[in-house]
Amino acid sequence: MGANSGPGASPCASPVGPWRKVLYARQPFPDNHVDRRFLEELRRNIRVRQYRYWAVVRETGLVAQQVSCVAVFITLWSCMDQGRLGPSVLLWAATGCALPGYGLYEMLGGKDRERPRLADLQSAAVFLAFTFGFSPVLKTLTESVSTDTVYAMSAVMLLAHLLSFPYTQPSPPGSLSLNAALFASVCLASRLPGALHTFAMLSWALLVFALWPCLLHRLRERAEWSFPWAAGLVCAGGVGGLGAVWPGGALLLSLALLVLTLACPLLLVCLQRHKDNIHGPWDEAEIREDLSRFLS
Amino acid sequence: MGQKKRSGRVHPPTCPSETQPPAAARTLDPPNSSKARGFGREERARHRICMVSDFFYPNMGGVESHIYQLSQCLIEKGHKVVIATHAYGNRRGIRYLTNGLKVYYLPLQVMYNQSTTTTCIHSLPLLRCVFVRERVTVVHAHSSFSAMAHDALFHAKTMGLNTVFTDHSLFGFADLSSVLTNKLLTVSLCDTNHIVCVSYTSKENTVLRAALNPDIVSVIPNAVDPTDFTPDPSRRDNSKITIVVVSRLVYRKGIDLLGGIIPELCTKHHDLYFLIGGEGPKRIVLEEVREKYQLHDRVRLLGALDHKDVRDVLVQGHIFLNTSLTEAFCMAIVEGASCGLQVVSTRVGGIPEVLPDELVTLCEPTVSSLCAGLETVIARQRSGKVPPPADIHSKVRTLYTWRNVAERTEKVYDLACRQPVLPLPARLQRLQSHCGAFAGFIFSFLAVIDFLFLFFLQWLHPDHLIDVAVDASGPHSCWGPSFKKKAKDSNRAWPPGADTRHC
Amino acid sequence: MVLKIFFPTCCNTADSGLLIGRWIPGQDSAVVLAVIHYPFIPGQVKKYLSETQNQSQVDLAVLGSWSLPKDGQEGMDSFLKDLSTIFPNSRWLQLSREIGKRGFACQVVHNRITPPDPAQGGTDKKDQIIFIHYDQRKVMLSQLHPIHEESPGEESSELRAVFHTVAQSGPLFLLDRYDEGPLKLTHWQSEGREASIVVELSKQASVPLCIVLTWLVLLSFQLFLYVVCCRILNIWPVQFISSKMSTCVQTAYRTNHFQTVFSTKKATSHMEFMRKANIFVSFLVDMSLGLLLVSWLYRENHISQLANTLVPVADHVAKELQELLEWLMGAPAGLKMNRALDQVLGRFFLYHIHLWISYIRLMSPFIEMILWYVGLSACLGLTFALSVLSDIVALLTFHIYCFYVYGARLYCLKVYGLSSLWRLFCGKKWNVLRQRVDSCSYDLDQLFIGTLLFTILLFLLPTTALYYLVFTLLRLVVVMFQGVIHLAIDLINSFPLFAMGLRLCRSYRLAEGVKFRVLCEEPGTPLHLMMEINPLKCSSVLQRYRTPTYSCYPRDSWVDLCKKLFMGELIYPWKHKTTKTD
Repeated sequence: MGANSGPGASPCASPVGPWRKVLYARQPFPDNHVDRRFLEELRRNIRVRQYRYWAVVRETGLVAQQVSCVAVFITLWSCMDQGRLGPSVLLWAATGCALPGYGLYEMLGGKDRERPRLADLQSAAVFLAFTFGFSPVLKTLTESVSTDTVYAMSAVMLLAHLLSFPYTQPSPPGSLSLNAALFASVCLASRLPGALHTFAMLSWALLVFALWPCLLHRLRERAEWSFPWAAGLVCAGGVGGLGAVWPGGALLLSLALLVLTLACPLLLVCLQRHKDNIHGPWDEAEIREDLSRFLS
Repeated sequence: MGQKKRSGRVHPPTCPSETQPPAAARTLDPPNSSKARGFGREERARHRICMVSDFFYPNMGGVESHIYQLSQCLIEKGHKVVIATHAYGNRRGIRYLTNGLKVYYLPLQVMYNQSTTTTCIHSLPLLRCVFVRERVTVVHAHSSFSAMAHDALFHAKTMGLNTVFTDHSLFGFADLSSVLTNKLLTVSLCDTNHIVCVSYTSKENTVLRAALNPDIVSVIPNAVDPTDFTPDPSRRDNSKITIVVVSRLVYRKGIDLLGGIIPELCTKHHDLYFLIGGEGPKRIVLEEVREKYQLHDRVRLLGALDHKDVRDVLVQGHIFLNTSLTEAFCMAIVEGASCGLQVVSTRVGGIPEVLPDELVTLCEPTVSSLCAGLETVIARQRSGKVPPPADIHSKVRTLYTWRNVAERTEKVYDLACRQPVLPLPARLQRLQSHCGAFAGFIFSFLAVIDFLFLFFLQWLHPDHLIDVAVDASGPHSCWGPSFKKKAKDSNRAWPPGADTRHC
Repeated sequence: MVLKIFFPTCCNTADSGLLIGRWIPGQDSAVVLAVIHYPFIPGQVKKYLSETQNQSQVDLAVLGSWSLPKDGQEGMDSFLKDLSTIFPNSRWLQLSREIGKRGFACQVVHNRITPPDPAQGGTDKKDQIIFIHYDQRKVMLSQLHPIHEESPGEESSELRAVFHTVAQSGPLFLLDRYDEGPLKLTHWQSEGREASIVVELSKQASVPLCIVLTWLVLLSFQLFLYVVCCRILNIWPVQFISSKMSTCVQTAYRTNHFQTVFSTKKATSHMEFMRKANIFVSFLVDMSLGLLLVSWLYRENHISQLANTLVPVADHVAKELQELLEWLMGAPAGLKMNRALDQVLGRFFLYHIHLWISYIRLMSPFIEMILWYVGLSACLGLTFALSVLSDIVALLTFHIYCFYVYGARLYCLKVYGLSSLWRLFCGKKWNVLRQRVDSCSYDLDQLFIGTLLFTILLFLLPTTALYYLVFTLLRLVVVMFQGVIHLAIDLINSFPLFAMGLRLCRSYRLAEGVKFRVLCEEPGTPLHLMMEINPLKCSSVLQRYRTPTYSCYPRDSWVDLCKKLFMGELIYPWKHKTTKTD
């Protein structure tokens, strides 16, 4: 038993040796002894990444283009609402965008096919039939709801879409974000004059919110150089389209895009130096390997 | 205890009258105390300690058994110990455990996982009653997960009592819940007199979390009752090698790693057998592994084990495996070693400090490293180079004893009692300077409210009108049978050569 | 040692003689049941006592002597003292009273067979005696509650033992002092109640009368029941329908009662007797009320008046419903309904109402005749009439019930669909195997179609919910009305009229306990107390003697009911308890 171990007693120069970080041996030091090796395993900020400004700007392109997608969609809807574009025009435009898009997707896809072409065709057929069949019903859904409520609901849903979008892994679109976007588009589409308008709107919603992120992700994976151009194109389209309908909105959008793309990365890079992460032997160990290989 | 030895014959136990001043405790000096032995230490004061925690019997766990064993050994040393915890179902009121350990089961509402709801204020009347009735001098709170413990510290400081806190676990820093919890801990510990941690790693962690002065943090490890965990090699099946794992099956205990180790080793060694005790949400992982690799005869899942059955499971094995991802002080590996098993464990938290190298094999928390470590130990087992279980047990039993823990805790109490309790202005000052502007302000406000509430309670029920309870432990104890037992024990020389009782 | 002697008030002025009674085992008390007057022959006394003991199963004994010295009986005291040798007992009481004085004097002579036990206080101390006077007739007729059906050997309390002793000692009271016989006794019968003879006679006459009545009624009823019930009711559809119709339930219930009441077996225990009496009285009341109703109905053409108002009322109800539906199809209360769905649902229900009105018009010529025959059933009792009314109401509002079921099913489907699609919306799925919600990655088309359906269901929810709400309210109104009727039936069925009457008129028959009044407390004389019976509280009477019925009571608590309503599950708020035997 330690003779004079315990707090408060003075550490005597022991013949046993220096202080060891062990509990099983009785050491001649008091219990509250603070050795000079105290906190020697403390590490700070070992996993801090050094962000480079332009790389971050490039990455925020994804967020910016998603915001612009929403703007494009709203533009299309407001054009139809104001009668500037007819539904048949939009439908042809949709077909015109979808088929080359699918072709591009297949070209970039290469050899690995997750689904057979027949399954894709089947999905398209199901979608078309279903939407066309239900558009009269969908059209009457918000008849009795006031315009303000509809706009408010759509706005909330589109915001939810932007916030819950899986920016890290956009290829299978996240459930909540896609559903929120579709819900908003149904709300907006039901405000349009005819059933065909509704059908056209929903087709465009699917293209913009469900299929375009997949294509963009494929572009990023296979042709990295094209990603900034594609994002830029979409942003320009968004600003331009909104400008044709509501100039004030275009200004706001461009301002928002600038802040997102330029100001926010700057903030991120500048605030990195205030980081203070503490690491040490007390941290819970992270399992870095993929253990599901034992189960699959 | 002291009264009897002085006169040389057995006096009937006398209970102190209400007017007995607490200082009288110090004048009753048993002749076999440190003074008489001539060690030259100043005479030990007897403290009246109140242990407070949400976690106590009938809940079974590490913190609970720690509080119980420590209290028993402190009672043996002549201190008065009282425990306050919340009511468990119908178990409410006052109960007496072995040797006069008085437990108050207070009717406070339990919120989640045996932790009480707290408003920082509402438990003051009950706790004040307990402290005044038992004439408590030191309040010892356990476990940062226990809201009642923090409440008790808060109220004890308002009432001017010395406070000690024991932390039993490690915490992270990174996520939001940790940040908030650490802030609460900072507030709670900024004016506590002394803090106890169970390992050096835990001390570093607590000092960083609560921004404490390291001099007021002591390291006193946990202990294990060696008589509960004795080896029994006859229970092993020597035709095969059995690896025992006893833990809760949760992510923190690294069950995913275990799920990777089992198939790797079982394919290599055909006489390997896994015995897994415990229950939890990760049981599914082990069952899936067993199912996939068809190891039904090699892997046995025992389900939840009662505390008394753990030893019987441990002695059936050759090797004890611990795959925790974080531990402050791993009691399980000491229990395994005490039963004579070879221990293989991950090197996380405070585990490297617990057992000497010849008793444990440490590995990184990866499947390959653990497999390599286990292979070494299996090879050693096969070649017969392992020391016999009885040797391992005799080495381990001296490493950690509750008597040693109690002795060191006693010194902590002495130190804590020498420090002053901050009066209200100094306390508010400390809270605001130490805990940040926002939290400091809120808790200063709460401290003032608490103080006013205490004032009101003292006006409503003045202290001198509260009945003083009859001591069941301590120097003026009126607990019958143990009186005679204590008389017998104190005839032995101190310190005792071997632990013959559960202390 | 305190000795308690229970002394009947009727023997207060009895002539001198022997005290007959019983020592309560285990207690220091004695119950005096009667006084046998001088002159008597001890042998005959003993014989009489043993006969009575065999008949009544009560261990009677001669307790001691009673002396009320009148003129010309001075030597009585010493004579009575010597009697203790003739009737050996461990204790011999010598009671005496002087005319004009209130208190008794008592001496206890201990005939020690065994020497006194020093542990119990040693030598004979002066016994303290308390006299507790009781009204013998009342105690004999009274029943102490709570009732324990025990064998006479084990009696739990002293009071219970006293009551039991007096009640069981019937055979002792057959001989009176006015009877010609070797022994002359004084007990409660001697109080000169000639009316008791009338009561006795009527009691003895009532039994054969009951048997004759039983025979007649039972025969006719059983014949009817046998034909109808056994043959037809065994077919399942009929059984099912009859369990739903309250008339049939009431019939079955009453049959049971008949069998209980008119069985020739005499009621052995107090509870059985009370049960029979209650049922009988309630049956009488029921029948008389029913006959009253019948006489009112068939007088002055009330039936045809009723029939004539019935069809317009049904018409009116249908018209009101139509208007309600028209209102719903518009913009009710300013709520925004989906026009298309609104129209569909509205027209669907309107068609049903149209069918219903046609049906009523078809039936209208026959209504009077149906009512005439149905009204006859009121002869069987008011409860039958009420059950028939309840069934008629159920039939007439069958269309409301149908609407409710349609609305509820539609709403329920919608709610389940919505909750499942909401989970899809959030990217989760219900794992049936593990009974929990798991995250799930859906395919694109699943997501798309799921979202569309979710939107549709969500926007159509207000319309369906409104229809559901309206019809549920209507159904609840009907159910409440039926509930009220059933409560009335239940009241008539189960109210213990006989017990209540007994409690009000002869309150001593149902005793909860006793209370004591001090009669005479003079120093030197023993204490005299008067024991009076505390009658049972009215609420206890109701609770204890309530006839168990098939009463309907709410099946779910309020919270459960609200939850079911919210989820659209069909509610059947009243549940029929099956006839329980007590």
